[in-house]
Amino acid sequence: MTSPGIESQASVKQWAAGAGFDHDPAEVREGKLRILADFCTKVDKQPDELVAFCILRKKATGERFLSVKRREAINGWLDEFAGEQGWTGKQAVVNANVVRSFLIHNGVLIQGSVWRG
Amino acid sequence: MEFKQVVGNRRTIRFFDPNRPVEPEKIQVMLEAANRASRAVNADFAKAIVCYRDELTDEVREALKTPTTTVQIDLAPVTIFWYGDTTFTNGAQDRLKELVDLGALPVTHGWTHPYVDDLVYPQVLEPLSKDALATTWAVSVETGLAIAQAMLAGVDEGLGVGLHAFNAAGAKEVLKVPDTWVPMWILLVGYPAEDAKGGGQRPRRPLSESYYRGQYGSPWTEIPEVTERLKREGMIQEPMPADSTERMQEIKRLADRFGLPS
Repeated sequence: MTSPGIESQASVKQWAAGAGFDHDPAEVREGKLRILADFCTKVDKQPDELVAFCILRKKATGERFLSVKRREAINGWLDEFAGEQGWTGKQAVVNANVVRSFLIHNGVLIQGSVWRG
Repeated sequence: MEFKQVVGNRRTIRFFDPNRPVEPEKIQVMLEAANRASRAVNADFAKAIVCYRDELTDEVREALKTPTTTVQIDLAPVTIFWYGDTTFTNGAQDRLKELVDLGALPVTHGWTHPYVDDLVYPQVLEPLSKDALATTWAVSVETGLAIAQAMLAGVDEGLGVGLHAFNAAGAKEVLKVPDTWVPMWILLVGYPAEDAKGGGQRPRRPLSESYYRGQYGSPWTEIPEVTERLKREGMIQEPMPADSTERMQEIKRLADRFGLPS
């Protein structure tokens, strides 16, 4: 999936609006979209599907809830993804958190690595 | 620091300086403050396990995390796990009679050994200990009192503090707490990486919305002179401004520093 290809997804539009992408230089914006697109390719999900993956419904009531296990899965995939990309140090933290930023701006509270260096 | 200033200065700190160590001496002050808290039947309701982040193995630290708690556990040099002990009625008779003998529970108010032995224990405490809901209520309230004192003592020592929920199942396994301890909160402790005043006091509703005089529906009437005095003495401080530009810029700087999502 190319980064222009994901921009039409509602979840990506919501992310761009919430994170204020409009104020970012073009290369920064494109870099973030590229990271998300590459991650989506890795996990074989569209961005909207990635958000939906984190949100389940209770069988009894139909009530929506955020799945801890699904978010743990995302964090595991992000660790793998960072390794596959060859990212290390702060770059690994920052880039994995680009994907988390996307999820957060779509209502998925997810936390991951912190750079303490 | 003056008491009112301590109360006024407390914020939930969410960005700690991860590399500035917290002195064990200051943690002891916090624990002693908790130990001095008011408590029913002179029981040790509050239990705590102090964990220094860098003393935990990676395996243990990972077990304590959930997808909603990793950032704070990674940033705070110290996490205090607070529990409430549901066995608080054990030994309660002896503790109460000790207080009678010391004059803390005075005969003028009806306290005697027979009262403890024949009424308080068999008719109040023992049934309470068998009522799970009532026990949880008592333990939660009493532990909360201790936690609040520890938290304020931390602020008085110049530390940042913040209470959060935690992964109780993971913590039980790695901290090896008894089955009789009920998980309460984690208290994160460290030196703030953010402005210690957090951009201002959080919004609070006026006293009249929650506090009453005589009966419900008759709101407490604020005495303006007292309100003004509390402003001068630091309990009431400038609230977070409606224009959050400055705070948002600070959050962006912190996000850049720690590589966090923004």
